[in-house]
Amino acid sequence: MSVPKAVFSGRPATFAASSAVGGSAPAKTAGPPPAGGPAGGGPRRRRRRLLQSLEGWGFVGPALVIVLGLSIFPAVWAFFLSLQKWDGFSDPKFLGAGNYREMLADGELGGAVLHTVVYTVLFVPSSVLLGLFLAVALNRRIRFIGLYRTAIFVPFVASAAATGILTTYLFSPQFGLFNNILRVLNMPQQGWLEDPGQAMIVITIMSLWGQAAFTTVIYLAALQDVPGDLLEAARIDGASSWQTFWRVVFPQLAPVTVFVAIWQTIQAIQLFDLVYTTTRGGPLNATETIVYFLWQAAFKNLQFGYGSAVAYGLFGATLLITIGVVLYSRRTKMEAF
Amino acid sequence: MFSTPGTRSRRTRGILATAAATAALLALSACGSSSGVETLDESADVTITMWTGQEDSAQKYLEALADEFEQEHPNVKIDLSPGASSTEDLLQKLSAGFAGNNYPDISYAFGSWAGQLEASNRTLDITDQVADPAVKWDEFSPAARDTARPSGNKTIGFPAVVDNISLLYNKKLFDAAGVAYPTDEWTWDDFRAAAKQVSDPGQNIYGYAYSVSGSEETTWQFWPKFWQNGGEILNGDQTEATFNSKAGVDALAMLQGMAIDDKSVYLDQTDTKFGQLFASDRIGMITSGPWQLYDLGVAGTEYGVTQLPGTDGDHKTVSGADIWALFDHKDANKAHWAFEFTNWLTQAEQDEQWNVAYGNLPLRASEIDSPAFQEQAAKLPGLTVMAANAVNAEIARPTLPGYVGLSEAVGQAISEVLQGKGEPDAALDAAVEKANKALAED
Repeated sequence: MSVPKAVFSGRPATFAASSAVGGSAPAKTAGPPPAGGPAGGGPRRRRRRLLQSLEGWGFVGPALVIVLGLSIFPAVWAFFLSLQKWDGFSDPKFLGAGNYREMLADGELGGAVLHTVVYTVLFVPSSVLLGLFLAVALNRRIRFIGLYRTAIFVPFVASAAATGILTTYLFSPQFGLFNNILRVLNMPQQGWLEDPGQAMIVITIMSLWGQAAFTTVIYLAALQDVPGDLLEAARIDGASSWQTFWRVVFPQLAPVTVFVAIWQTIQAIQLFDLVYTTTRGGPLNATETIVYFLWQAAFKNLQFGYGSAVAYGLFGATLLITIGVVLYSRRTKMEAF
Repeated sequence: MFSTPGTRSRRTRGILATAAATAALLALSACGSSSGVETLDESADVTITMWTGQEDSAQKYLEALADEFEQEHPNVKIDLSPGASSTEDLLQKLSAGFAGNNYPDISYAFGSWAGQLEASNRTLDITDQVADPAVKWDEFSPAARDTARPSGNKTIGFPAVVDNISLLYNKKLFDAAGVAYPTDEWTWDDFRAAAKQVSDPGQNIYGYAYSVSGSEETTWQFWPKFWQNGGEILNGDQTEATFNSKAGVDALAMLQGMAIDDKSVYLDQTDTKFGQLFASDRIGMITSGPWQLYDLGVAGTEYGVTQLPGTDGDHKTVSGADIWALFDHKDANKAHWAFEFTNWLTQAEQDEQWNVAYGNLPLRASEIDSPAFQEQAAKLPGLTVMAANAVNAEIARPTLPGYVGLSEAVGQAISEVLQGKGEPDAALDAAVEKANKALAED
């Protein structure tokens, strides 16, 4: 009965066939009748259905346009750009995978990847450990606890531009606070942001200062979810507070740790603002990260195609990391996601 | 998986809606194009859109002039706006404007963009019109004229702002070190010796400063000495870079000697800090332009200005010439009035009310003796020397699109050598290779 109906309402034969192959009775009856089908009811009913669906789209529409227009459309467009050579002015030239091939041979991009990896390796573990430490320190009933918590959180709210300006003041080799302290202590002066070997470390320190609050807040919330009876049981069994923390509390925090690690890794891979406001990739490209590189390629050198290709490369890498960690946490049943 | 007729129809509707939304977006981006008139009617009403790239007081001077022009020509309306939040951002705005077919008739443009703008095929060609003696095209400096003619085939606009770099010295530091002030007969050897004498590492005082950010600031400071040595950036047909010649290696070796051996150079990672340090008596000499003078006046720095040191009496300098680029809307009236307004704006009488009034150098040599300029020069000591230094701006930087990549390669090489990470010849050879790649791509 359903097959002729589908054919009658002008649907493609393949579709009717697939429906017939699948043909289980509940599906057919559960599905609403086709909107355009004459067997679906009179014209009045059709109008009501149309009105209903219009109403639905009316609600979804504005959000849909924003999502499509500001995320999906640029993302798709960027993909087409990544297959072209285009400077924004002359006619674009189609290169196919040319930009992606160039990426593999680009030494400067290789350097940027290396710097990003170094930064990620420095930043992610330290921000997780620092967050954990601060959360444990703040997770107790002491005087002025609100004040301490606020103090930790303030740098997180400060914009990267402000953090960057502060960094250049603190770490200026000639006139900065840190070198003045070293001078008073008769210690050798450091180049900080102007020394290719130290610049990335300084940036890591400043991002830790700005970002530690995020991991702290997440861990604070998680700590308050640790069941009290577990802690009580551990105490009764004679566990020291050190043992209680590592054997009872920390395993409870595992899903949060996975989440925080992924989140911070994604943030670290996308480092741009602090570099832009402090070193602009210098000295001697020592702090040039992937995102800074692609910004420079696209908006300073006007290689929009190449910049998009790098962006897609970065997207691919981030996606792989995330999928990998999610699969790993599913297998080990940590349920971070 | 199978679909019921109902889900299928819902999905189809979804796809249709998506398609409709996409179509709407495309339609949005496509609007703004207009078909213009083909025959000129000088009395027809016309609106000229102009992006000035200026802010605050500079913008006010231009607005006043635009009002004056509108009063003289009541059928012309000039829609003046900065165009972008900073001059640098104008390039992106123009690129987006071309994509969306919604771009101005006149836009301020850095000289280095000229080649790209011409390559867009959206510019007017005013070569025949500027040949008119009334335009007095020859009063612009050669470097400025070349910038408005990037490939030599088309004239895409008028010079808008010109400047050049001169030698600024801090009198206080020279007095303290007991060193005689620089003169206009200095050689680069005199310059290097003075920089060394003025330096005092213990006090964080440097004789000279050089930006090692690797940007165009790093690169363009290099060209004067290079040109004085007889170097040429590109070969005759502009297809290959030749700055790794002996002229280039010698010029870079001198800077390397100052930075590494003498330790007399403050290496600035930012492009902007050295100006502030010069103003606060930390740096003995900088090579910079008119834009620095206002800040020095505010800081109360005691400074002097002279032309750059020379090589065998040759004191060539590098000039930055920005332009008013004129864009084609296939509309004879718009093209006519865009040209007329820009021509009027860049004539001496009007230029005195904007470039000179603002503290820039005058566009035309004829303005130097004008009372307006003399008044400014009294307020900004050294401005007269800088204006006179324009005769040393004999060579224009290349304006072809590949220059952006070339500049980056040179800037990188200079930064490496000055920070002790390379030798002049090897670094410049590597830079030529990169530059040639950039040139070949365009």
